[in-house]
Amino acid sequence: MAPPLFLQSIEDSGLSTWLRESESPFAFYFVLLFHTFGLALLVGANTVVDLRLLGYVGEIPLAPLKGLFRIMWLGFAINACSGALLLLAYPTKALTNPFFYVKLAIIGFAVRVMVMIKDRVFGDPSLDESSMMKRGAGLAKWSICLWIGAITAGRLLAYTYKYLVYPS
Amino acid sequence: MNFSHLHLLLNHFPIIGGIIALGLFLTSFVGNNAGLRRASLILFVALALLALPTFFSGIGAKGELKAEPGISAALMDRHEGAAMLALFVMEIAGALALVELWRNQGSSTPRRRPGSILAILIFSLLTVGLMVRVGNTGGDIRHPEIRVGEGANETGLSAFVHVFEPSPDGFTQAMLISKWWWAFIMDLHFIGLALLIGTVGVLNLRLLGFLKRLPVAPLHALMPWAMAGFGINLLTGLFAYIGMPGYYTFDIAFWLKILAILLVWLNLAVFYLTDVFGTIERLGPGEDAPVFAKFIAGTALFLWFAVITLGRYIQPYNNTISIR
Repeated sequence: MAPPLFLQSIEDSGLSTWLRESESPFAFYFVLLFHTFGLALLVGANTVVDLRLLGYVGEIPLAPLKGLFRIMWLGFAINACSGALLLLAYPTKALTNPFFYVKLAIIGFAVRVMVMIKDRVFGDPSLDESSMMKRGAGLAKWSICLWIGAITAGRLLAYTYKYLVYPS
Repeated sequence: MNFSHLHLLLNHFPIIGGIIALGLFLTSFVGNNAGLRRASLILFVALALLALPTFFSGIGAKGELKAEPGISAALMDRHEGAAMLALFVMEIAGALALVELWRNQGSSTPRRRPGSILAILIFSLLTVGLMVRVGNTGGDIRHPEIRVGEGANETGLSAFVHVFEPSPDGFTQAMLISKWWWAFIMDLHFIGLALLIGTVGVLNLRLLGFLKRLPVAPLHALMPWAMAGFGINLLTGLFAYIGMPGYYTFDIAFWLKILAILLVWLNLAVFYLTDVFGTIERLGPGEDAPVFAKFIAGTALFLWFAVITLGRYIQPYNNTISIR
Protein backbone atom coordinates (compact mmCIF):
# COMPACT_ATOMS: atom_id res chain seq x y z
CA MET A 1 0.00 0.00 0.00
CA ALA A 2 1.45 3.35 -1.03
CA PRO A 3 1.78 6.06 1.63
CA PRO A 4 -0.88 8.82 1.57
CA LEU A 5 -0.41 11.37 -1.19
CA PHE A 6 -0.33 14.41 1.08
CA LEU A 7 3.13 13.27 2.19
CA GLN A 8 4.34 13.75 -1.37
CA SER A 9 2.79 17.21 -1.49
CA ILE A 10 4.66 18.20 1.66
CA GLU A 11 7.91 16.87 0.25
CA ASP A 12 7.39 18.81 -2.97
CA SER A 13 7.02 22.12 -1.13
CA GLY A 14 9.86 24.61 -1.44
CA LEU A 15 10.96 24.56 2.22
CA SER A 16 10.87 20.77 2.48
CA THR A 17 12.92 20.38 -0.71
CA TRP A 18 15.41 23.03 0.42
CA LEU A 19 15.86 21.47 3.86
CA ARG A 20 16.43 18.05 2.33
CA GLU A 21 18.46 18.83 -0.76
CA SER A 22 20.37 22.04 -0.11
CA GLU A 23 24.09 21.65 0.35
CA SER A 24 24.14 24.66 2.64
CA PRO A 25 25.45 23.82 6.13
CA PHE A 26 22.44 25.78 7.42
CA ALA A 27 19.86 23.41 5.93
CA PHE A 28 19.08 19.90 7.23
CA TYR A 29 22.13 19.38 9.45
CA PHE A 30 21.64 22.76 11.11
CA VAL A 31 18.13 21.75 12.15
CA LEU A 32 19.41 18.36 13.28
CA LEU A 33 22.10 20.15 15.31
CA PHE A 34 19.50 22.21 17.15
CA HIS A 35 17.50 19.04 17.77
CA THR A 36 20.61 17.68 19.52
CA PHE A 37 21.14 20.94 21.47
CA GLY A 38 17.52 20.73 22.62
CA LEU A 39 17.99 17.09 23.65
CA ALA A 40 21.07 18.03 25.69
CA LEU A 41 19.19 20.83 27.50
CA LEU A 42 15.92 18.97 28.02
CA VAL A 43 17.23 15.54 28.98
CA GLY A 44 20.41 16.87 30.61
CA ALA A 45 18.53 19.16 33.01
CA ASN A 46 15.97 16.42 33.75
CA THR A 47 18.80 13.99 34.51
CA VAL A 48 20.31 16.31 37.13
CA VAL A 49 16.94 16.74 38.90
CA ASP A 50 16.27 12.98 38.70
CA LEU A 51 19.69 12.06 40.10
CA ARG A 52 19.16 14.46 42.99
CA LEU A 53 15.67 13.14 43.73
CA LEU A 54 17.06 9.62 43.80
CA GLY A 55 19.63 10.74 46.36
CA TYR A 56 22.75 10.27 44.21
CA VAL A 57 24.08 13.82 44.54
CA GLY A 58 22.63 14.45 47.99
CA GLU A 59 24.99 17.36 48.73
CA ILE A 60 23.12 19.62 46.31
CA PRO A 61 20.22 21.54 47.90
CA LEU A 62 17.02 20.47 46.17
CA ALA A 63 14.79 23.54 46.12
CA PRO A 64 17.06 25.78 43.97
CA LEU A 65 17.06 23.10 41.24
CA LYS A 66 13.61 24.45 40.37
CA GLY A 67 15.48 26.89 38.11
CA LEU A 68 16.38 23.96 35.84
CA PHE A 69 12.77 23.63 34.67
CA ARG A 70 13.23 26.78 32.59
CA ILE A 71 16.14 25.08 30.83
CA MET A 72 14.01 21.99 30.27
CA TRP A 73 11.24 24.05 28.67
CA LEU A 74 13.79 25.91 26.54
CA GLY A 75 15.11 22.54 25.34
CA PHE A 76 11.57 21.33 24.72
CA ALA A 77 10.73 24.44 22.68
CA ILE A 78 13.90 24.09 20.58
CA ASN A 79 13.07 20.46 19.91
CA ALA A 80 9.41 21.06 19.11
CA CYS A 81 10.46 23.62 16.47
CA SER A 82 13.44 21.69 15.10
CA GLY A 83 11.40 18.48 15.20
CA ALA A 84 8.64 20.10 13.15
CA LEU A 85 11.22 21.17 10.55
CA LEU A 86 12.76 17.67 10.46
CA LEU A 87 9.28 16.25 9.94
CA LEU A 88 8.71 18.78 7.14
CA ALA A 89 11.97 17.67 5.48
CA TYR A 90 11.18 13.93 5.61
CA PRO A 91 7.45 13.47 6.26
CA THR A 92 7.17 10.06 4.55
CA LYS A 93 10.20 8.73 6.40
CA ALA A 94 8.80 9.70 9.79
CA LEU A 95 5.06 9.20 9.41
CA THR A 96 5.31 5.71 7.89
CA ASN A 97 7.56 4.50 10.73
CA PRO A 98 5.80 3.15 13.86
CA PHE A 99 8.79 4.16 15.97
CA PHE A 100 7.97 7.82 15.23
CA TYR A 101 4.63 7.47 17.04
CA VAL A 102 6.29 5.49 19.84
CA LYS A 103 8.78 8.34 20.23
CA LEU A 104 6.04 10.98 20.39
CA ALA A 105 4.06 8.93 22.91
CA ILE A 106 7.13 8.44 25.14
CA ILE A 107 7.93 12.16 24.97
CA GLY A 108 4.32 12.92 25.90
CA PHE A 109 4.61 10.73 29.00
CA ALA A 110 8.06 12.07 29.85
CA VAL A 111 6.87 15.69 29.69
CA ARG A 112 3.85 14.76 31.80
CA VAL A 113 6.19 13.27 34.44
CA MET A 114 8.37 16.40 34.22
CA VAL A 115 5.35 18.62 34.95
CA MET A 116 4.30 16.31 37.80
CA ILE A 117 7.77 16.59 39.36
CA LYS A 118 7.64 20.37 39.07
CA ASP A 119 4.13 20.61 40.59
CA ARG A 120 4.28 17.95 43.26
CA VAL A 121 7.90 18.21 44.36
CA PHE A 122 8.87 21.80 43.65
CA GLY A 123 5.43 23.41 43.75
CA ASP A 124 5.01 23.25 47.53
CA PRO A 125 7.58 25.49 49.28
CA SER A 126 6.57 24.13 52.69
CA LEU A 127 8.08 20.70 51.93
CA ASP A 128 11.45 19.82 53.44
CA GLU A 129 14.07 17.94 51.40
CA SER A 130 13.22 14.46 52.64
CA SER A 131 9.51 14.94 51.85
CA MET A 132 10.45 16.29 48.43
CA MET A 133 12.58 13.21 47.78
CA LYS A 134 9.87 10.90 49.04
CA ARG A 135 7.39 12.45 46.64
CA GLY A 136 9.84 12.65 43.74
CA ALA A 137 11.86 9.42 43.81
CA GLY A 138 9.29 7.29 41.99
CA LEU A 139 8.68 9.99 39.40
CA ALA A 140 12.44 10.42 38.91
CA LYS A 141 12.81 6.73 38.05
CA TRP A 142 10.03 7.06 35.49
CA SER A 143 11.61 10.22 34.15
CA ILE A 144 15.00 8.56 33.56
CA CYS A 145 13.44 5.51 31.90
CA LEU A 146 11.15 7.60 29.69
CA TRP A 147 13.91 9.97 28.52
CA ILE A 148 16.18 7.02 27.71
CA GLY A 149 13.22 5.56 25.84
CA ALA A 150 12.66 8.82 23.94
CA ILE A 151 16.32 9.03 22.89
CA THR A 152 16.31 5.36 21.89
CA ALA A 153 13.13 5.67 19.82
CA GLY A 154 14.58 8.80 18.20
CA ARG A 155 17.84 7.05 17.33
CA LEU A 156 15.93 4.09 15.91
CA LEU A 157 14.21 6.39 13.41
CA ALA A 158 17.53 6.58 11.58
CA TYR A 159 17.74 2.79 11.17
CA THR A 160 14.17 1.54 10.83
CA TYR A 161 12.44 3.66 8.18
CA LYS A 162 10.70 1.97 5.27
CA TYR A 163 10.76 4.96 2.88
CA LEU A 164 13.34 7.74 2.99
CA VAL A 165 11.17 9.85 0.67
CA TYR A 166 7.85 9.29 -1.08
CA PRO A 167 8.28 6.28 -3.41
CA SER A 168 8.29 7.24 -7.07
CA MET B 1 51.44 18.20 6.70
CA ASN B 2 49.80 14.84 6.07
CA PHE B 3 48.63 12.00 8.30
CA SER B 4 52.05 10.33 8.30
CA HIS B 5 53.64 13.57 9.58
CA LEU B 6 50.98 13.93 12.25
CA HIS B 7 51.34 10.30 13.28
CA LEU B 8 55.13 10.54 13.56
CA LEU B 9 54.71 13.66 15.68
CA LEU B 10 52.03 12.27 17.99
CA ASN B 11 53.24 8.70 18.44
CA HIS B 12 56.00 9.80 20.82
CA PHE B 13 53.49 10.98 23.41
CA PRO B 14 51.92 7.65 24.38
CA ILE B 15 55.23 5.76 24.14
CA ILE B 16 57.85 8.12 25.64
CA GLY B 17 55.24 9.94 27.75
CA GLY B 18 54.00 6.62 29.15
CA ILE B 19 57.52 5.68 30.21
CA ILE B 20 58.01 9.09 31.88
CA ALA B 21 54.62 8.91 33.65
CA LEU B 22 55.37 5.40 34.90
CA GLY B 23 58.82 6.55 36.07
CA LEU B 24 57.29 9.45 38.03
CA PHE B 25 54.64 7.15 39.46
CA LEU B 26 57.20 4.59 40.65
CA THR B 27 59.54 7.30 41.98
CA SER B 28 56.66 8.77 43.99
CA PHE B 29 56.77 5.73 46.27
CA VAL B 30 60.25 6.73 47.42
CA GLY B 31 59.44 8.83 50.47
CA ASN B 32 55.73 8.66 49.54
CA ASN B 33 55.85 11.87 47.47
CA ALA B 34 52.19 12.85 46.96
CA GLY B 35 53.01 15.74 44.61
CA LEU B 36 55.00 13.54 42.28
CA ARG B 37 52.27 10.91 42.27
CA ARG B 38 49.69 13.55 41.42
CA ALA B 39 51.89 14.76 38.55
CA SER B 40 52.20 11.21 37.21
CA LEU B 41 48.41 10.68 37.39
CA ILE B 42 47.78 13.95 35.53
CA LEU B 43 50.26 12.81 32.91
CA PHE B 44 48.48 9.45 32.52
CA VAL B 45 45.17 11.24 31.90
CA ALA B 46 46.75 13.63 29.38
CA LEU B 47 48.46 10.76 27.56
CA ALA B 48 45.23 8.73 27.43
CA LEU B 49 43.66 11.70 25.64
CA LEU B 50 46.60 12.29 23.30
CA ALA B 51 46.62 8.59 22.41
CA LEU B 52 43.28 9.11 20.63
CA PRO B 53 44.48 11.42 17.83
CA THR B 54 47.66 9.32 17.66
CA PHE B 55 45.55 6.27 16.83
CA PHE B 56 43.32 8.14 14.38
CA SER B 57 46.30 9.66 12.56
CA GLY B 58 47.73 6.15 12.23
CA ILE B 59 44.66 5.08 10.29
CA GLY B 60 45.18 8.10 8.03
CA ALA B 61 48.86 7.23 7.56
CA LYS B 62 47.82 3.69 6.66
CA GLY B 63 45.56 5.12 3.96
CA GLU B 64 48.50 7.14 2.61
CA LEU B 65 50.97 4.26 2.69
CA LYS B 66 48.68 1.59 1.27
CA ALA B 67 49.56 2.41 -2.30
CA GLU B 68 53.32 2.71 -1.70
CA PRO B 69 55.48 -0.05 -3.19
CA GLY B 70 57.27 -2.29 -0.71
CA ILE B 71 54.85 -1.63 2.14
CA SER B 72 53.54 -4.79 3.77
CA ALA B 73 49.82 -4.77 4.56
CA ALA B 74 50.41 -7.57 7.10
CA LEU B 75 52.93 -5.43 9.03
CA MET B 76 50.53 -2.48 9.03
CA ASP B 77 47.72 -4.72 10.29
CA ARG B 78 49.93 -6.10 13.06
CA HIS B 79 50.86 -2.55 14.11
CA GLU B 80 47.20 -1.47 14.05
CA GLY B 81 46.07 -4.48 16.11
CA ALA B 82 48.85 -3.80 18.65
CA ALA B 83 47.80 -0.13 18.75
CA MET B 84 44.14 -1.04 19.37
CA LEU B 85 45.00 -3.20 22.37
CA ALA B 86 47.47 -0.66 23.77
CA LEU B 87 44.96 2.16 23.26
CA PHE B 88 42.19 0.44 25.22
CA VAL B 89 44.60 -0.48 28.04
CA MET B 90 45.90 3.11 28.12
CA GLU B 91 42.35 4.49 28.31
CA ILE B 92 41.71 2.25 31.32
CA ALA B 93 44.96 3.45 32.95
CA GLY B 94 43.91 7.06 32.28
CA ALA B 95 40.43 6.47 33.71
CA LEU B 96 41.88 4.86 36.87
CA ALA B 97 44.29 7.78 37.24
CA LEU B 98 41.42 10.26 36.85
CA VAL B 99 39.36 8.51 39.53
CA GLU B 100 42.34 8.56 41.91
CA LEU B 101 42.95 12.28 41.19
CA TRP B 102 39.29 13.01 41.87
CA ARG B 103 39.28 11.11 45.16
CA ASN B 104 42.39 12.92 46.41
CA GLN B 105 41.22 16.33 45.28
CA GLY B 106 41.79 19.10 47.78
CA SER B 107 43.70 16.98 50.28
CA SER B 108 47.43 17.46 50.70
CA THR B 109 47.85 14.04 52.27
CA PRO B 110 45.91 11.58 50.10
CA ARG B 111 44.42 8.56 51.80
CA ARG B 112 46.16 5.31 51.08
CA ARG B 113 44.14 3.11 48.78
CA PRO B 114 46.34 0.13 48.01
CA GLY B 115 43.73 -1.38 45.67
CA SER B 116 43.51 1.59 43.32
CA ILE B 117 47.26 2.21 43.44
CA LEU B 118 47.89 -1.42 42.52
CA ALA B 119 45.35 -1.23 39.68
CA ILE B 120 47.03 1.91 38.31
CA LEU B 121 50.42 0.26 38.63
CA ILE B 122 49.30 -2.85 36.74
CA PHE B 123 47.58 -0.92 33.95
CA SER B 124 50.41 1.59 33.57
CA LEU B 125 52.99 -1.20 33.36
CA LEU B 126 50.82 -2.97 30.80
CA THR B 127 50.37 0.28 28.88
CA VAL B 128 54.10 0.96 28.69
CA GLY B 129 54.89 -2.60 27.63
CA LEU B 130 52.17 -2.62 24.98
CA MET B 131 53.06 0.87 23.73
CA VAL B 132 56.70 -0.16 23.27
CA ARG B 133 55.44 -3.02 21.14
CA VAL B 134 53.25 -0.60 19.17
CA GLY B 135 56.36 1.50 18.53
CA ASN B 136 58.38 -1.51 17.44
CA THR B 137 55.72 -2.90 15.13
CA GLY B 138 55.23 0.59 13.69
CA GLY B 139 58.95 0.96 13.07
CA ASP B 140 59.02 -2.41 11.31
CA ILE B 141 56.71 -1.08 8.59
CA ARG B 142 59.31 1.28 7.12
CA HIS B 143 62.56 -0.09 8.55
CA PRO B 144 63.51 -3.58 7.38
CA GLU B 145 66.90 -3.13 9.12
CA ILE B 146 65.28 -3.35 12.59
CA ARG B 147 62.91 -6.22 11.88
CA VAL B 148 63.32 -9.40 13.88
CA GLY B 149 62.27 -12.46 11.88
CA GLU B 150 60.33 -12.59 8.68
CA GLY B 151 57.23 -10.53 7.91
CA ALA B 152 54.58 -10.35 10.60
CA ASN B 153 55.50 -13.70 12.18
CA GLU B 154 55.87 -13.61 15.94
CA THR B 155 57.90 -15.62 18.41
CA GLY B 156 58.22 -15.75 22.19
CA LEU B 157 56.60 -12.98 24.23
CA SER B 158 55.47 -11.11 21.07
CA ALA B 159 53.55 -14.19 19.96
CA PHE B 160 51.89 -14.37 23.38
CA VAL B 161 50.87 -10.68 23.33
CA HIS B 162 49.71 -11.01 19.75
CA VAL B 163 47.06 -13.51 20.87
CA PHE B 164 45.29 -10.67 22.71
CA GLU B 165 45.53 -8.17 19.85
CA PRO B 166 42.40 -7.78 17.75
CA SER B 167 42.54 -8.16 14.01
CA PRO B 168 41.70 -4.67 12.70
CA ASP B 169 39.37 -5.98 10.00
CA GLY B 170 37.76 -8.43 12.42
CA PHE B 171 37.10 -5.63 14.93
CA THR B 172 35.61 -3.45 12.20
CA GLN B 173 33.37 -6.28 11.01
CA ALA B 174 32.26 -6.97 14.60
CA MET B 175 31.08 -3.35 14.94
CA LEU B 176 29.10 -3.66 11.72
CA ILE B 177 27.67 -7.09 12.50
CA SER B 178 24.11 -5.80 12.79
CA LYS B 179 22.33 -2.50 12.40
CA TRP B 180 20.85 -3.06 15.86
CA TRP B 181 24.31 -3.21 17.46
CA TRP B 182 25.25 -0.01 15.63
CA ALA B 183 21.99 1.65 16.71
CA PHE B 184 22.73 0.57 20.30
CA ILE B 185 26.22 2.17 20.18
CA MET B 186 24.76 5.40 18.79
CA ASP B 187 21.92 5.33 21.34
CA LEU B 188 24.41 5.09 24.20
CA HIS B 189 26.44 7.91 22.61
CA PHE B 190 23.40 10.21 22.82
CA ILE B 191 22.50 9.10 26.36
CA GLY B 192 26.10 9.81 27.39
CA LEU B 193 25.82 13.21 25.73
CA ALA B 194 22.71 14.12 27.76
CA LEU B 195 24.31 12.96 31.01
CA LEU B 196 27.53 14.84 30.28
CA ILE B 197 25.98 18.12 29.14
CA GLY B 198 23.36 18.15 31.89
CA THR B 199 25.85 17.71 34.71
CA VAL B 200 28.66 19.88 33.31
CA GLY B 201 26.11 22.43 32.20
CA VAL B 202 24.61 23.02 35.66
CA LEU B 203 28.03 23.71 37.22
CA ASN B 204 29.10 26.03 34.42
CA LEU B 205 25.77 27.88 34.29
CA ARG B 206 26.00 28.48 38.05
CA LEU B 207 29.52 29.91 37.67
CA LEU B 208 28.27 32.15 34.87
CA GLY B 209 25.66 33.60 37.24
CA PHE B 210 22.53 31.58 36.43
CA LEU B 211 20.86 29.33 39.05
CA LYS B 212 22.47 31.56 41.68
CA ARG B 213 20.51 30.14 44.60
CA LEU B 214 22.77 27.09 44.36
CA PRO B 215 26.02 26.98 46.36
CA VAL B 216 28.97 25.92 44.17
CA ALA B 217 30.81 23.30 46.25
CA PRO B 218 28.05 20.62 46.24
CA LEU B 219 27.73 20.90 42.46
CA HIS B 220 31.09 19.17 42.17
CA ALA B 221 29.28 15.98 43.16
CA LEU B 222 27.99 16.07 39.56
CA MET B 223 31.45 15.79 38.04
CA PRO B 224 31.82 11.99 38.45
CA TRP B 225 28.52 11.68 36.54
CA ALA B 226 29.90 13.94 33.85
CA MET B 227 33.00 11.78 33.64
CA ALA B 228 30.77 8.69 33.42
CA GLY B 229 28.99 10.34 30.47
CA PHE B 230 32.35 11.12 28.89
CA GLY B 231 33.50 7.53 29.48
CA ILE B 232 30.38 6.13 27.79
CA ASN B 233 30.95 8.44 24.84
CA LEU B 234 34.65 7.72 24.57
CA LEU B 235 33.97 3.98 24.42
CA THR B 236 31.01 4.19 22.05
CA GLY B 237 32.86 6.79 19.97
CA LEU B 238 35.87 4.49 19.65
CA PHE B 239 33.60 1.59 18.69
CA ALA B 240 31.95 3.73 16.01
CA TYR B 241 35.36 4.87 14.77
CA ILE B 242 36.65 1.30 14.55
CA GLY B 243 33.44 0.32 12.74
CA MET B 244 34.01 2.91 10.01
CA PRO B 245 37.63 4.12 10.28
CA GLY B 246 37.84 5.51 6.76
CA TYR B 247 34.59 7.40 7.16
CA TYR B 248 35.82 9.35 10.18
CA THR B 249 39.52 9.71 9.42
CA PHE B 250 39.11 11.65 6.18
CA ASP B 251 36.54 14.04 7.65
CA ILE B 252 37.52 17.55 8.74
CA ALA B 253 34.57 17.84 11.17
CA PHE B 254 35.75 14.70 12.97
CA TRP B 255 39.26 16.10 13.48
CA LEU B 256 37.94 19.44 14.67
CA LYS B 257 35.70 17.55 17.10
CA ILE B 258 38.73 15.71 18.50
CA LEU B 259 40.57 19.04 18.79
CA ALA B 260 37.59 20.55 20.64
CA ILE B 261 37.56 17.57 23.03
CA LEU B 262 41.26 18.06 23.78
CA LEU B 263 40.64 21.79 24.36
CA VAL B 264 37.76 20.98 26.72
CA TRP B 265 40.17 18.89 28.79
CA LEU B 266 42.74 21.68 28.71
CA ASN B 267 40.02 23.97 30.00
CA LEU B 268 39.20 21.46 32.74
CA ALA B 269 42.90 21.27 33.66
CA VAL B 270 43.10 25.07 33.97
CA PHE B 271 39.97 24.96 36.13
CA TYR B 272 41.10 22.28 38.56
CA LEU B 273 44.89 22.58 38.53
CA THR B 274 45.25 26.36 38.90
CA ASP B 275 43.82 28.82 41.42
CA VAL B 276 40.47 29.03 39.62
CA PHE B 277 38.95 26.14 41.54
CA GLY B 278 40.06 27.63 44.86
CA THR B 279 38.38 30.95 44.04
CA ILE B 280 34.95 29.40 43.49
CA GLU B 281 34.95 26.35 45.74
CA ARG B 282 33.38 28.12 48.70
CA LEU B 283 30.90 30.34 46.85
CA GLY B 284 27.58 30.28 48.69
CA PRO B 285 24.07 30.95 47.37
CA GLY B 286 23.80 34.30 45.60
CA GLU B 287 27.56 34.91 45.45
CA ASP B 288 29.20 35.86 42.19
CA ALA B 289 32.15 33.97 40.69
CA PRO B 290 35.27 35.98 39.76
CA VAL B 291 35.56 37.06 36.12
CA PHE B 292 38.26 34.53 35.23
CA ALA B 293 36.18 31.65 36.63
CA LYS B 294 33.27 32.90 34.51
CA PHE B 295 35.53 32.98 31.48
CA ILE B 296 36.59 29.36 32.09
CA ALA B 297 32.96 28.27 32.61
CA GLY B 298 31.83 30.08 29.45
CA THR B 299 34.68 28.57 27.44
CA ALA B 300 33.81 25.09 28.72
CA LEU B 301 30.16 25.44 27.67
CA PHE B 302 31.18 26.85 24.30
CA LEU B 303 33.60 23.97 23.72
CA TRP B 304 31.10 21.27 24.72
CA PHE B 305 28.54 22.72 22.31
CA ALA B 306 31.28 22.90 19.68
CA VAL B 307 31.92 19.18 20.25
CA ILE B 308 28.21 18.45 19.63
CA THR B 309 28.15 20.73 16.58
CA LEU B 310 31.23 19.16 15.00
CA GLY B 311 29.91 15.68 15.76
CA ARG B 312 26.69 16.52 13.97
CA TYR B 313 28.57 17.75 10.91
CA ILE B 314 30.69 14.60 10.53
CA GLN B 315 28.14 13.15 8.12
CA PRO B 316 27.97 16.02 5.59
CA TYR B 317 31.73 16.68 5.81
CA ASN B 318 32.62 13.10 5.02
CA ASN B 319 35.53 12.80 2.56
CA THR B 320 36.68 16.37 3.04
CA ILE B 321 40.31 15.36 3.60
CA SER B 322 41.99 13.91 0.56
CA ILE B 323 45.18 11.89 0.49
CA ARG B 324 47.72 11.56 -2.26
